[in-house]
Amino acid sequence: MAKSMDDPNNYWNRELSWVEFDRRVLSEAKDASIPLFERLKFLSISASNLDEFFMIRVASLKDMDNAGFKKADIAGMTPKEQLKALGQTTHELVEEQYDIYGLLSKELNRIGYKIVDDTSILNKKQCEFIDRFFEDYVYPVLTPMAVDSSRPFPLIRNKSLNIGALVKSKTGDKDETEFVTVQVPGVLPRMVEIPGDKSGKTMILLERIIERNFERLFLNYEILCTTVFRIMRNADLEIDEEEAADLLKEIEKQIKKRQWGEAIRLEVETEADERLIGRLKAELMIKKDEIYEIDGPLDLTFLMKLYGIDGADEYKAKGHTPFPVPELPEGGDIFGAIRKGDILMHHPYQSFEPVVRFVKSASTDPQVLAIKQTLYRVSGNSPIIAALAEAAENGKQVTVLVELKARFDEENNIVWARKLEQAGCHVIYGLVGLKTHSKITLVVRMEEDGIRRYVHLGTGNYNDSTAKIYTDIGLFTCKETYGEDATALFNMLSGYSEPATWNRLSVAPLWLKERFLYLIGREKEHALAGRSAHIIAKMNSLCDPDIISALYEASAAGVKIELIVRGICSLKVGIPGVSENITVRSIVGDYLEHSRIFYFENNKKPEFYCGSADWMPRNLERRVEVLFPVEEDELKKKLKHILDLELKDTVKAHILTEDGRYVKHSLRGKNAKSINSQMQFWKEAETEHKNSGTKKSDTDVMETRRFIPEEHK
Amino acid sequence: MAKLFAAIDVGSYELNLGIYEFGQDRMRIIDNVKYRLDLGTDSYSKGRLPADKVEELCRILKEFSRIMKSYHVSDYKAYGTSAVRETRNTKILLDRIEQRTGIHVDILSNSEQRFLDYKSVASKGRDFSKTIEKSTAIVDIGGGSIQLSLFAKDKLDVTQNMKLGVLRLQERLNELDATPSKYEDILEEMIGSQMTVFEKLYLNGRSIDNLIIVDDYVSPITWARTKDSKTPGFVTAERFMAFFERIREMNPVEFCMRYGIASENLNQVYIAATLIRNVARTLSVKTIWAPGVTLTDGIAYEYGEKKKLLTIDHDFEGDIITCSRSISRRYLGDDKKEQTLENICMSIFDSMKRITGLDKRDRLLLRIASILYDCGKYISLYNVAQSSYDIIMATEIIGLSEVEREIVAGVVKYNHVYLDYDIERTESSGRGEEVYMRVAKLAAILRIANGLGKSQKQKFNDIKTSLKDDTLVITVRTNKDISLEKGMLEKRADFFEEIFGVRPVIKQIAKI
Repeated sequence: MAKSMDDPNNYWNRELSWVEFDRRVLSEAKDASIPLFERLKFLSISASNLDEFFMIRVASLKDMDNAGFKKADIAGMTPKEQLKALGQTTHELVEEQYDIYGLLSKELNRIGYKIVDDTSILNKKQCEFIDRFFEDYVYPVLTPMAVDSSRPFPLIRNKSLNIGALVKSKTGDKDETEFVTVQVPGVLPRMVEIPGDKSGKTMILLERIIERNFERLFLNYEILCTTVFRIMRNADLEIDEEEAADLLKEIEKQIKKRQWGEAIRLEVETEADERLIGRLKAELMIKKDEIYEIDGPLDLTFLMKLYGIDGADEYKAKGHTPFPVPELPEGGDIFGAIRKGDILMHHPYQSFEPVVRFVKSASTDPQVLAIKQTLYRVSGNSPIIAALAEAAENGKQVTVLVELKARFDEENNIVWARKLEQAGCHVIYGLVGLKTHSKITLVVRMEEDGIRRYVHLGTGNYNDSTAKIYTDIGLFTCKETYGEDATALFNMLSGYSEPATWNRLSVAPLWLKERFLYLIGREKEHALAGRSAHIIAKMNSLCDPDIISALYEASAAGVKIELIVRGICSLKVGIPGVSENITVRSIVGDYLEHSRIFYFENNKKPEFYCGSADWMPRNLERRVEVLFPVEEDELKKKLKHILDLELKDTVKAHILTEDGRYVKHSLRGKNAKSINSQMQFWKEAETEHKNSGTKKSDTDVMETRRFIPEEHK
Repeated sequence: MAKLFAAIDVGSYELNLGIYEFGQDRMRIIDNVKYRLDLGTDSYSKGRLPADKVEELCRILKEFSRIMKSYHVSDYKAYGTSAVRETRNTKILLDRIEQRTGIHVDILSNSEQRFLDYKSVASKGRDFSKTIEKSTAIVDIGGGSIQLSLFAKDKLDVTQNMKLGVLRLQERLNELDATPSKYEDILEEMIGSQMTVFEKLYLNGRSIDNLIIVDDYVSPITWARTKDSKTPGFVTAERFMAFFERIREMNPVEFCMRYGIASENLNQVYIAATLIRNVARTLSVKTIWAPGVTLTDGIAYEYGEKKKLLTIDHDFEGDIITCSRSISRRYLGDDKKEQTLENICMSIFDSMKRITGLDKRDRLLLRIASILYDCGKYISLYNVAQSSYDIIMATEIIGLSEVEREIVAGVVKYNHVYLDYDIERTESSGRGEEVYMRVAKLAAILRIANGLGKSQKQKFNDIKTSLKDDTLVITVRTNKDISLEKGMLEKRADFFEEIFGVRPVIKQIAKI
């Protein structure tokens, strides 16, 4: 009898799978073959990821649990069960983070980078420096707060670092202890370099400087004990779009409220006094298993700042400069180049510059009538925003869909939205209830023979900064079928009716899921009929039950399915009769794997698609996403090569096992070959560039990499 | 350089803007913006649009105006259809729209609208010409009514409006409070009774090969499901019937998912499909074609035709004339006599062109009037004028506006009776001086022609007319006695002279 595909035993819980992903990021920090500062970066990323995970996913589970919601997920776990399992696994993950931190700080010490965690080891001169630093810079911005009968427990801001203490009045009742707290100011750098170390760099964390001078903040009190602490709050915005007359204002209001969400995690130092912890626990209404005792500095994201300091180049991976796209040489006519044929770009190996140039050229080109673009996350000081504003000032009709609801970028997006409105752009805020996640730009140009539409479609955001660290695919085309669809999509996003039919694009939440189910089902039919069938799909996350079920059915019918899923994967491999033909690998490397590429063999008539959507319910049902086919044979070959090389990666690929763990390739065997797909793509981009004979710009030099929270929740 | 044109349809439940590009003798749609706005419900039931609807209508039209500017369109045409037409304060509404949005909206009569829908089908070029080579029917399904038209020898022959619109039928079903299981029977009965009349009146055993469907319900589905085939939009009648069976049998949710229909539209799709099935069955068609066109396609096509931006092979005026002959036949008109009359009218019209101030469209109206010149005889030999007027006013003539129909009716009426000068004074027709004068001028020509073609012997088949100073010389080549016609002309020449300041005279040349 066939096994039921939707048996909960056939699925991994998505939250636990996410923790596995963060563990894979952390494993990079553990990898001694990686330069030290790169390892610090991975450790920082894993910490930042975990913060975000708590604020959104754990918070959401808690909301469900508090509301008495008992419905099990596809893996058969209720919110309560998930929270319990997560409590255990995240505690383990944090312990592992700090074990690694311990190791890495020793390594740092060895090469002359000291992070002082105990001021007692400092000499007199060093102590004088930090005390003077406290006096001059820190003291003026501190706001010490005491709690007593007349002063309630203060608002502890989400994610802020604080120092809490129990104090006793020097003049009052000798037995009465009071709680006091002070926020470590976010306006000052977390790490302060203590000058005078000729053999290397000595740095101290800001909280340690404050702790050392704590008594000066509470002059009439005796300090009994202190601890650095940090809380995480429920940060999921709850916006009633139907009711919110002005979405812009409502989001601003909600961002402020984010500081007030329920506390869901408390971090304190391992050595913290029990009474102090008890006080925090009671005031913040936090449970015991939500308290994380940290053996080291809290909030390891400061390591990203350390990564950015000058002078440690030998401990960092060699930076790469994206190579020009051969079809789009600098200074060339971008529209003319697109007219010659579709152009596929692979970022960050190939430069994102042509995309910026596309919008910039359009903004000043007298033949351009209109520019339409979706913006989900843009970089600070975005050249694209500037170009759009310029286009509007030049009299072009500029329509920009700014997705205000891009999580953690809401504030940023409000600023850009206002700027664009002031410049005369027509700014729209998307559809009620749906986040607009699609990445598409349309340029309408009046040419000699009439209107021609140029379209850029991508898997990544229009963010020139992340384009240097995220791997993405972009396509330029001026085919009429794509142009018509792009026009229809923007009409739909502007609140007009959807078109009766689409030529090439599949759009979520309308038909995208059905399209995927159809494509998977078609492979199944091919396999059953003895025709050749094969699916390769690359994405960030896979947890849509309908898609997984369809994949199981295809696998059971004999379709070979190779999945490259960087993050969450609820699909189980190796279940007899269900998923024996499915393999899953996750590539976690220097560059964040972000492209979504889909290959369907279709009985030797392969079809390739790229898009903005993962195989997640939220992408397929609650977002505006676009999937686009890549039709030219040459470009199909490029995509196939990308997939093939990633399937051969033996260095950065982690293979999902039947028990849900991810293991790396063993490179011990005789025939084992070390293949790092990301590095290989760099080499190939370089070779292609050399062969093309185009000049490489020095303006696109790799910026110091900085971590930008990833959109995985 | 290509020319951009915008067409706007202020429809009963949707506003539609199409941006079209004309260049190299072809028309291409560049952008199509649709916005759902139900104007019909209020307009049909209350005769007025509530303030919030007017507000919304103006907001969207203003937005359309912005889009038009973004494309730098050089011209536009905006039409309101039945929902706007049926408001009691239409002129006030249109003025308000123009003041607020800068967009001038004209009203389309049902027959003009259907003719534009028909033109939208014709805009499909080769597919259209090939389809109508065989016997073909078009069913144009609207909210309030449907228009069923038949072709004969690639000309539109018969066209009939029936109150079987989708929204109207839906409303009736609601009124009857029928359970869904009864829907089919009730619909079949409502549709069937009118289709039987149509069959008896017009089919006469004719077999129809192709059915063209123009609607917003079934067409998009048909188009979507066949667009990648070799013949997009075309399905066999069997395949259509199988589709209908699926609607009947499939779970509604599943059906909506599969065919991409919003669940609130499912009933309308079902009604439209029932209508098409009934028409297809009555006409025994073999192929169904859903060209997936909209009214804006027709508006743009007509614009291209008028501005000579497109080479149009099809003779649309010929369609209107054929339909008019068909109406005449229904009232037992005399083909031969009509033909003679038409020839004389056209000859006089053309000779007088320099001084009449009339245009090509008036020529067409005169042609129609000459075809329907005494249709009232079917009702009353005594009161032909009024009966003819009433028949024409009660009969939709495809492609004509309400005003134009009234002109034709007036011309036919004043062919039989003296012009009513009181109307000039009171403007009781409400159409103004310009219309009054057009009626008078065309009637003057028809009266002269009618006088010459009075006898049943077609003596004036071979005539020539020419304008010499203040005389219209009508030269007739005949050996027959034309005393009667000369006498008739004398009586009518005064009126002609009063109108044009030109005296018609007959010059007879004997045939050798």
